[in-house]
Amino acid sequence: MPSLYLHIPFCERKCIYCNFYSVENLDSRQRFLQALLREIDLRADQLASDPEAPTTYSTIFFGGGTPSLLSPEQLGSIMEALRRRFVIEPDAEITMECNPGALTEVWLSGYRALGVNRLSFGVQSFHDDDLQFLSRIHTANEARRGITAAMRVFDNVSLDLIFALPGQTTERWRSNLREGVALGTEHISAYALIFEEGTPLNAMRLSGNVSPAPDDLDAEMYAETMETLAEHGFRQYEVSNYAKPGRECRHNLGYWERQTYISFGPSAHSFLRGADRQERWANVSSLTAYLQQAEAGTLPVASRELLSSQLVLEEMVMLGLRSRGVNRAEFRQVAGCDLTEYAPNTVAMLAEQGYATLSEHLLSMTPKGYPFADRFAVEVLVGKK
Amino acid sequence: MNNIRNFCIIAHIDHGKSTLADRLLETTGRVTAREMTTNQILDDNPLEQERGITIKLHAIQMDYRRPNSTGDAATYSLNLIDTPGHVDFSYEVSRSLAACEGALLVVDATQGVEAQTIANLYLAIDAGLEIIPVINKIDLPSAATTLEGVKQQVIDLLGCKEEEMILASAKAGIGIEEILEAIVQRIPPPRGNPDAPLRALIFDSLFDSYRGTITYVRVVDGTLREDDKVKFMYTGAEFTVEEAGMLHMSRVRTKAIPCGGVGYFTAAIKDVKDTKVGDTVTLSRGGAQDPIPGFREVKPMVFAGIYPAISDDYETLRDSLAKLTLNDSAITYEPETSTALGFGFRCGFLGMLHMEIVQERLEREFNQTIVTTIPNVEYQVTKTNGEQILVDNPADLPPPGLIDIVEEPYIRAQIICPAEYIGVVTKLCIERRGIYKNTSYLSSTRVDITFEIPLAEVIFDFYDKLKSASRGYASFDYEVIGMREGDLVKLDILLSNEPVDALSIIIHRDKAYFYGRKLCAKLRELIPRHMFEIPVQAAIGAKVIARETIKALRKDVLAKCYGGDISRKRKLIEKQKEGKKRMKQVGAVEIPQEAFLAVLSMDE
Repeated sequence: MPSLYLHIPFCERKCIYCNFYSVENLDSRQRFLQALLREIDLRADQLASDPEAPTTYSTIFFGGGTPSLLSPEQLGSIMEALRRRFVIEPDAEITMECNPGALTEVWLSGYRALGVNRLSFGVQSFHDDDLQFLSRIHTANEARRGITAAMRVFDNVSLDLIFALPGQTTERWRSNLREGVALGTEHISAYALIFEEGTPLNAMRLSGNVSPAPDDLDAEMYAETMETLAEHGFRQYEVSNYAKPGRECRHNLGYWERQTYISFGPSAHSFLRGADRQERWANVSSLTAYLQQAEAGTLPVASRELLSSQLVLEEMVMLGLRSRGVNRAEFRQVAGCDLTEYAPNTVAMLAEQGYATLSEHLLSMTPKGYPFADRFAVEVLVGKK
Repeated sequence: MNNIRNFCIIAHIDHGKSTLADRLLETTGRVTAREMTTNQILDDNPLEQERGITIKLHAIQMDYRRPNSTGDAATYSLNLIDTPGHVDFSYEVSRSLAACEGALLVVDATQGVEAQTIANLYLAIDAGLEIIPVINKIDLPSAATTLEGVKQQVIDLLGCKEEEMILASAKAGIGIEEILEAIVQRIPPPRGNPDAPLRALIFDSLFDSYRGTITYVRVVDGTLREDDKVKFMYTGAEFTVEEAGMLHMSRVRTKAIPCGGVGYFTAAIKDVKDTKVGDTVTLSRGGAQDPIPGFREVKPMVFAGIYPAISDDYETLRDSLAKLTLNDSAITYEPETSTALGFGFRCGFLGMLHMEIVQERLEREFNQTIVTTIPNVEYQVTKTNGEQILVDNPADLPPPGLIDIVEEPYIRAQIICPAEYIGVVTKLCIERRGIYKNTSYLSSTRVDITFEIPLAEVIFDFYDKLKSASRGYASFDYEVIGMREGDLVKLDILLSNEPVDALSIIIHRDKAYFYGRKLCAKLRELIPRHMFEIPVQAAIGAKVIARETIKALRKDVLAKCYGGDISRKRKLIEKQKEGKKRMKQVGAVEIPQEAFLAVLSMDE
């Protein structure tokens, strides 16, 4: 199930914690659109001569930045180009990330008509002071109204929420989760606030104006997330992602299950999983450079990496333990031995102590294991002791 | 022989020894000013240049043509023998002094006499050297106010006359001619018998991978010639001299070293242990009867375990230590095993500086990543059955029930500082179990304080503490004075009830409680949280005297959105994997390497 990703690098205002690439100047949207169409053509031409390239695509994801800054008309031209150059499966999942404020019903219907069938709202909190701290441009009420409006048009709606905010209590976090559930969404991504290098938020930490939530409180809120969402019928299928059965995000599962994804736009990351080669590449993280290169007819790629089997193994374990599990057959194919031989002690310990379940096909984290998924990935990869 | 002068320079760090040496070399034409691009030619080891101290000895010969003189009295051969400037190397200092007839005592006109200077000066006076006092840096503006006081200190110290002192500035080239003249006029020529059987004093050696050991000697009697069959009197090793020569900026082959002279020879000596500083070289047949007095086997005073950071590197660490000892024969190393650290070596060093130098050389020259355990001294234990053993590893201390007496080495510490710091210095020494001996005033504002202190109490951070307590004004020197009984116990550290052998120390009973509490607290900071709770305990025998708890970790996953950027996430995991490989494991507990030296960074 290969995927397509499009990075729309514009935001009305950047949020203090976000380290995805975007610019606040919206003037070059039209020029960007032309460059993006150009990149789609260039990439499609290039893939046409690559025997390892996928033949059909089953998900499309518009991320950013703020893709909902694109009008239906603009989005339409992108969809048209994608459909012209790639074979998109009829039941493809097509997701668009949205800001929950200021979305009109006209635009929502427009997106729907273009084939978009899933919306992902960056809500983050239903408390205005949290939203102000995070420098979001919407209020809690706008979010409520926006989501309700969207759900009249879309039946597959997801919310992003952030926990471990400075000063946040577990009680308050629980209220965010409950409100998300009450709005009727069937998919919630709950992320911990991370102080990423280079963000204004991290600068605030370095100057002593804000301090991260204590580790134990972070852990408590994480446990609270799992419990509350489980009570409401959500299943955890990744470290930070929960869905009602059948509502898992197919696009994101593709990332974690190492399916091919071809990406467009500045800073976008791609992965090609062929039979003979596995390759990752990233586009330039600068709108200016992106525009120049795409307009000049060159693919705006900044770096590429061919994956050795060792790296493939590392990715399989790391991503597998974070999501639905490490596929034992795939692991055997790359490692030349079973997981239980590669890291016998760790795997036995994980299963015996209830951190993981070992089935015929998968080694997967239990709710008890998810909070330690990174640690276990390292321990499995260190191998025999 | 009458035209040879052998001398050394005694000075405290930064008082200008190296600059003065450079200036002498330049004035005698041994180097041109253009060659003098980097200062301080004597210190050719980068570590030495960084620290401003001389670790290995060097010697250099220069020809001095006296102005306004002719004939025999016109040209002199001057040998400058450099001495290390640190107490760890005082035996080497004594051997270089034994190769000289005179010494320049260099004192900074703004700083005055320091403990290091005095200690080495006494060694020089004991060796019967002619002392030429030189007051350096007289051109500094602040010297105007301090010069008279410093002069008086030197007069008090040497009992010399004011006119015997040379006022100089090596940096500005003041007094250099006067110093050269004083070397010729005041230092006696070597006294030796050119016709007696060869006796040459080894004062240094270095290892050359092509030619074996290059031995630096001062010829006392006879002449050392190429093709001579020679014997090293202490080790008994015999060799044929292959090449002999003088020491200019590099070695210059002259085929012989005359009586009274200083030079080098090679003799296909493969094992550096054959060449011991202080040993006497004589002829194999018809050699001298008596060696030059003063030889001593150099004994390590400080011991620590050195382990490879990754246990696979044990073999390369052993090879590196073997190579390193080729030009530092003072290090000893024996294989040892630790449950915490795996296979490694128990190494002996002359002192803490020497230990640091070895650590740095292993890391820089040999690219080794090592873990060093807490250093300790060597204890003499008398067991209840009367048996006596030496213990250089706390893990080897017998159980308390089998111990009758534990003895530890003591030093006589000499500290010189401005009088206003007597209080803080005395307090520090007493905290370190020091026994007060004496205070004498070098001048109305400077005192010389003597304490007897267990060596174990000064090896960690005594000198740093002394420096900070005295705002940098105190100087420190010591000599070992023997073993004394002490109420010493072994303090063990337990993690999850498993003892960590590499963290055990031998300590005075009265200090064990404080130390145990501090170390437990420090380890709680340094050991990362695990998935289970870890009790950290300090115990004497079965008795736990301190306890801390490392709480269980509840979350160890990055719960964030990272989109399709898998490479970045993977790199984080790879980094953690590398870090994990470097962890040392005791039971189920993983210990980061820095925890093993935690004690060194503990503030009191």
